[in-house]
Amino acid sequence: MEYGTIEREFHVDAAPEIVFDVISSPEHIRQWWDAETDIEPVSGATGELVWSDENTGRAHVSPITVVDAQPPRLFSFRWVYPDDAAARSDNSLLVTFQLSPSERGTVVRMTEAGFREKGWEVAVLEEQYNEHVVGWDLFLPRMAKYLTELVSAP
Amino acid sequence: MSVAINDDLWSAIGDPTRRRMLDLLLTDGGGTATSLSEQLPVTRQAVAKHLGVLDRVGLVHVTPSGREMRYRVDDAQLARAVAQLSAVGATWDARLRRIATIAEAIQRSKSRDAAQQEEQ
Repeated sequence: MEYGTIEREFHVDAAPEIVFDVISSPEHIRQWWDAETDIEPVSGATGELVWSDENTGRAHVSPITVVDAQPPRLFSFRWVYPDDAAARSDNSLLVTFQLSPSERGTVVRMTEAGFREKGWEVAVLEEQYNEHVVGWDLFLPRMAKYLTELVSAP
Repeated sequence: MSVAINDDLWSAIGDPTRRRMLDLLLTDGGGTATSLSEQLPVTRQAVAKHLGVLDRVGLVHVTPSGREMRYRVDDAQLARAVAQLSAVGATWDARLRRIATIAEAIQRSKSRDAAQQEEQ
């Protein structure tokens, strides 16, 4: 089992140009990540992701740096690093989206790497700020599956 | 449990050799520094050092066995470490489903517009 990286691959019934726009534009990031952002989908651009909690009136902010933007094939960025530092491989998480055209749409490969250095910090962040996105009904069966595999692994 | 303890837990499990050692301990139901070093491309001394790291974060239990120390995986502590990462994975699954839903809605609306223009 690899603890250092999350990897997902899935198919979307939409053209790569549309998927790229959804993944990388502030308008859509607001929808799928619940975050306000000023990031531009251009290599080297920096900005912030801001999650506001209406109940407490507090906001959580994470810096974000676009590493590589090659529409409509590749979008990668670093996040979860100290406010007063530049994003580096040893202080941040690297998220990469690779898009390839398929017959009926787009195959998306997503990875998030850097947990060896940042694992606990991001786990806390996710738990605190995105708990409402995923209920326990999704989390618990997955955890059970992980543990079953862990216990029965040869 | 404080954040600092969990940070240590994560870096303990972040090392590939230590993960391989945990796998072997789980498979064999336990082991010693000698038995582990026989199955890994590292010295007994290096294995002993890694076992010390795992012991400090509570991922293994140690009991004296003859002239050596015998190590077993602490299932509850390992489950805790795994649960942290699976929580992160589950939140990405939710985000990725949203990305797919939004993109597919845009595609459907574009295709509809194109079809209407052809009719006109």
